[in-house]
Order: sequence, then structure tokens, then C-alpha cells
Amino acid sequence: MEPIIQINNVKKYFGTMEALRGVSLDVNKGEVVVIIGPSGSGKSTFLRCINRLEEYDEGSIIVDGIPLDSTQHINQVRTEVGMVFQQFNLFPHLTVLENVTLAQKVVRGRDKAEAERVATQLLEKVGIPEKAHAHPGQLSGGQQQRVAIARALAMNPKIMLFDEPTSALDPEMIQEVLDVMLTLAKEGMTMVVVSHEMGFARAAANRAILMDNGLIVEEASPEVLFSNPKEERTKAFLSKVL
Amino acid sequence: MTDENNPLIPPMNARQTGAAESKDGFDRWWILVAIVAAIILLLVFMKPDPYQRMILFVRDGVMVTLTVTVSSFLLVMVLGLFAALGRLSKNPVISTLASVYVEVVRGVPLLVQIFAWYFAFPSIVQGIGDKFHIPAFQDYLANPVGMAILGLTFCYGAYMSEIYRAGIQSISRGQMEAARSLGMTHFQAMRYIIIPQAVRVILPPVGNEFVSILKDSSLVSAVAVADITRRGREFISTNFIPLEGWMLVALLYLLMTLFASRIVTWIERKTRITR
Ligand SMILES: Nc1ncnc2c1ncn2[C@@H]1O[C@H](COP(=O)(O)OP(=O)(O)OP(=O)(O)O)[C@@H](O)[C@H]1O
Ligand SMILES: [Mg+2]
Repeated sequence: MEPIIQINNVKKYFGTMEALRGVSLDVNKGEVVVIIGPSGSGKSTFLRCINRLEEYDEGSIIVDGIPLDSTQHINQVRTEVGMVFQQFNLFPHLTVLENVTLAQKVVRGRDKAEAERVATQLLEKVGIPEKAHAHPGQLSGGQQQRVAIARALAMNPKIMLFDEPTSALDPEMIQEVLDVMLTLAKEGMTMVVVSHEMGFARAAANRAILMDNGLIVEEASPEVLFSNPKEERTKAFLSKVL
Repeated sequence: MTDENNPLIPPMNARQTGAAESKDGFDRWWILVAIVAAIILLLVFMKPDPYQRMILFVRDGVMVTLTVTVSSFLLVMVLGLFAALGRLSKNPVISTLASVYVEVVRGVPLLVQIFAWYFAFPSIVQGIGDKFHIPAFQDYLANPVGMAILGLTFCYGAYMSEIYRAGIQSISRGQMEAARSLGMTHFQAMRYIIIPQAVRVILPPVGNEFVSILKDSSLVSAVAVADITRRGREFISTNFIPLEGWMLVALLYLLMTLFASRIVTWIERKTRITR
């Protein structure tokens, strides 16, 4: 079966700075890939290229058979790819329920009752059904991030992208978010996760990737990459993080 | 005019709200509105001559001032939005045009602009009419109220666009990205996410613009619009009462501006986001 994400030699420049210097990666359906690497190595940029929040300058990306080439295709891909951000980016002027129903209504064209049914189900799944009518500002960071996950899932994405979903959280709230992500992984969601949570990577990931300086330096199973890496740069990075 | 360099500094009325708001949420600045209204009523009843006579005389001027102000304000809101979106546009032609408009308008005094609309604009139309033999254009005469509204709108649209622009830019990039990542189009993201939040940010400065337009509408009395100022001046010069007359005109403007400020504060509080 062909990979659900096919990334081929993607390059990205910010002015003259080369943020991605030819990255290739295939992700199979149901696979969980964790990306680690030093700050500024291009992890976010890479992730954001997959749903075209960032335009890339060279190479190609094909998601679920759709090449990211025209506006129409980009919007089509975006409805199939959910994204969770470090800063949550919930819509502060809407209630939790509205956050989760809005795109269902305006993008998927679901009616209000249907959208709310889906939203309620997902809020239960992420463990905060009682907050449906609160505003994001009234929730803790962990709760906000779980709402953000529910919001993305409401579009029934085939792929979920996570960009450091727990690094803006207080330590005691990290696990509640990781638990939701673990459940998703077990259910067979295809996930690309930028995160330095080794515990999550070991428990959920099929593959771990080290990025440095706009390139994929090493790619292996989490056990191998974290405990027994081949590349010097991986060793150097891990010795700083662990 | 608002502070040109920083359109997002809340106007006085908004900044005072915090201090003036009592526990039960009552906005104490309403008391000032009541006091001004009481003074006007007192003058009218205690000294019907000249106050009551004058009020009756300028009554239609009040209507003209309100008509000019409200119509200009509504048009300004629309023009300002287009100019702001224009300046933020990725299309260089559109953004340059919008920027030139804003810079030019902000560099010319409002009174001069109003004169230009009233005196210069009709002669341009007539000139075109003469050249191409269009009778409707040749006979074109400026309608004072129409030209006044046009002049105020054209000028304030530029200031308003800067307020809108700052408001839109104050919404973090992550909001647009989150919306787009859910598959919304740029238009949908603007419509459902960015503009509703920006509206709340810009409400105080927009309200302040309304008050400014209300005050600056007195300039249109220079081009034969019979607003409060012009009607007041007529009454004053036939009755020789400069002191009482201009005091009453000032009180009438003050009552309207204070009242408008309270309404703005009230709307602002209704739409505040719980953070
Ligand atoms: N919008 C931008 N404009 C200019 N340069 C950018 C922009 N976004 C990212 N960069 C640069 O591109 C490089 C890669 O950034 P990126 O955010 O992808 O790194 P990262 O690996 O996600 O880092 P972090 O761990 O700090 O999030 C960095 O050098 C960064 O400064
Ligand atoms: Mg990053």
C-alpha cells in the first residue's frame, strides 16, 4: 500500500536562510512518527509544510494521494489533516463547544445538531464534557490543549500533526494530554509528532527521527534512537536533553 | 482626531471605565451626562428668553448634525474596512493605492477637504459635462449635506482604516493558522475568527471616532450646511447674545458626545471576552 504521506526532497528558504535542506519522508497509514531535534533545526517548518501552512520552495508533498499544488488541493488536504499547536490557538471569542463545531459547520457543511453531537462525543473522549459552555480563557492549559485536539478530530482527519503539544504546559498537565494522544495512536491514527517526551515516543511511536540544521540526521525505532543511536549528532543532542 | 500614531490607545471614556465602574456594574459617568442634561433643562425653564427660544431655533440643526454624523459614520465603517483590507492585501497595486489614499488624506486639513468637496468637486463634474456635452453633469450643483457627508467620510475613512488595520494585526497569527488548518478559506477565517475578535479590540477607538466625527461635523457649517453650529451662529448674530448662545451650543454638543461615549462603553462591556 502506498504511504499516506509522501515527502520528497523538500527545501524551504526564509530569505537566504535555508530552513529545510532537502527532507524526504514517507509515513504509512496508522504510523506514529516522532520528530526530535534542537531548537531552530526546522521541525516546526517541516510539520507546517505538510498542511501547507508554510510554502516550500522545492520538492513535493503528496498527502493521501493529493499533491499539494493548487489552492483547491491545499484546502482539500487541510480538511484531512488535523493540527495541534504548541500555543493551543483556541478561538477565545467562542465557547468550547463552538470551537469544536465551527469548522464542522462551515467547512464540512454539517448541521448544528450533527456538529454538536460529534463535538459532545469528542469532548467526552478527551475528558472534559462538563466544560462545553466555558470559554477557553476559563480552562487550564491542559484542558485547552485537549479541546484543541477535539477541535481537530471533529473534522475526521486521517492524519494528525502535533507541534510540541505539551511544551507550553505546566508539568502536572502534560500527562493528561499525552494520554489523549496515546489513545489516538492506539486507535490507529496516523500521527506526526514533534515532541521531546521520550516516554510518549517509546510507548506510541513506530519511528523516531532526529532533525538538525534542516536535515533528517537519523531515523530509527524509538528504542534504538534514544538508547543506541548511530550518529554523533544524535548522541550529542540526546546527552543535552536527557 | 484620535492619536494618529497609536490608534489602539483606548479613548478617555474607555480608560476611565475601570475606575468609574461600581460593584453593581453601574457606569458612574452617566451622572455627568445627567448633570449636563439638567443644566440645559434648568436654563430652558428658568430663562426661557433666550434659551428656550434658541433651542427651538436650532432644533432642526440638531437633526442635521445627527444625520450628517450618523450617515458619515456608517459610510466610514465600510470605507475604512475596504481601505484596511486593501493595505493588508498581498496585491501590490491594491495595497499601494490604499496606502496612498490614507497618507494623502491624513496630510490635508479636514476643513480644506470639505471646501474641496463642496467647491472644487462640482466644478470638475461641470467641466467633464462641458467637455463631453452631458447636460446632467453640466447642471450639476453640489448638495451641501451630501458633500459634507462625502467629505467627512473620505477623511475619516482613512483614519478608520488605520484602526481596523491595527485591530486585525493585533490578532495573533496562530488564530489564522488554526482556522486555515481546519480547512477554512481565508475569507471564512476572516469572517468567523479574525474580524469578530478584531471588532472587540477596535470598539473603543471606533467609538472615539464617532465622537470625533460628531464634533468635527461642526466644520460643515462652513459650507452652508444648517447644522447646530450654523443655526446657533444665525441665532446669536440676530439676537446679539454671544455668551449665552455659544455656551448653549457647547452644552448641546457636550450632551451628545458624553452620551455617545457612554453608549460605546456599554457596548464594549457587553461584548467583552472572558479570558
Ligand atoms: N517565519 C519565519 N521567518 C524567518 N525565519 C523563520 C521563520 N520561521 C522559522 N524561521 C527560521 O527557520 C529555522 C527553523 O525554524 P523552526 O521553527 O522550524 O525550528 P524548530 O526546530 O521548530 O525549533 P523550536 O524547537 O525552537 O520550535 C529557524 O532558524 C528559524 O529562525
Ligand atoms: Mg518549533
